[in-house]
Amino acid sequence: MTGKTTGYVSIMLVALILGMMLAVQFRVVNRAPAGISTDRAQEVVDELKQIDRERESLHKEISDLNYKLEQVNQGKNEAILALKSELEKTRMSAGLLTVTGPGLEVVLDNPDKGEGSRLSPGVFIIYAEDLLKVVNELWGGGAEAISINSQRIVATTEIRLAAPFININTKRVVPPYQVLAIGDPDTLANALELPGGLGEYLRDLGIEITVEKHQELTVPAFTGN
Amino acid sequence: MWMGILLAVLGLGAGIVIGFNIPMVLPQDYAKYMSVAALAALDSVFGGIRAAMEEKFNHGIFVSGFFSNALLAAGLTFIGDRLGIDLYLAAVVAFGVRLFQNLAIIRRYILKHKIK
Repeated sequence: MTGKTTGYVSIMLVALILGMMLAVQFRVVNRAPAGISTDRAQEVVDELKQIDRERESLHKEISDLNYKLEQVNQGKNEAILALKSELEKTRMSAGLLTVTGPGLEVVLDNPDKGEGSRLSPGVFIIYAEDLLKVVNELWGGGAEAISINSQRIVATTEIRLAAPFININTKRVVPPYQVLAIGDPDTLANALELPGGLGEYLRDLGIEITVEKHQELTVPAFTGN
Repeated sequence: MWMGILLAVLGLGAGIVIGFNIPMVLPQDYAKYMSVAALAALDSVFGGIRAAMEEKFNHGIFVSGFFSNALLAAGLTFIGDRLGIDLYLAAVVAFGVRLFQNLAIIRRYILKHKIK
């Protein structure tokens, strides 16, 4: 009888444990419906490591590219500065800017008619060629900017006789002609006052010409036609 | 014998109730071992039922077989994992085959008795 009892007890114990195992297993499997197998987990971990490595290399690439970008930006700033100064120079050469600095003032006027000059008053006026010669001489003397009666001399400027006036930049100018040139005053004056030079020649023609050196002159910008 | 079956069913029910109500949950990592162990245990139980039907039931063999089979199956799975071999497949196949064999024998036995 005791054997039978222990038999029943053992059966019941075994059944109990089996039931527990089944229930626990059932719960575990149900808890994660998309049960991840260990193989899959291993795979995913490998993938994670790979992606981590990738991320690290990408981080390096980012800093590398940032560095390059910085350099390029610095270069860009320099380039912009260079371009700006170039532009400034070009604008000055083109006469689009008002220029201030030391220079020479040359005033040419028709001779006084009343004072019995050597030439007949009605005939004589300053020709456009005379002004052109003056301008040419001043350019030759290293002038940076020239204006005549506040008409800036630029690449397209004409100085031509449109009787009885002279047109500069299609604007009429009348005597006295005030020629302003920015540059080294002494050099400019020397260019004009060369013995046997232009100044002398113009005076010989009877034109009243006065040359004055200034430390501060302002040549206006080209205002357009 | 019917008493034994009654007790077994009772124990099973109690075990299931306890298993569903214990607060601890087995970690996912050990679920594999537990499943193989449960399969081995199931096989042992069916083996026991078959032995009882054939009037050869010995509870010593039954209990020791139950525990040793379950532990061996779980241990085999564990070792297989460490070695990189899917040894649990061997346990699943072996216990699965035996399970069906036992079931077949039990079925025949019951049918024979019914016919008699």
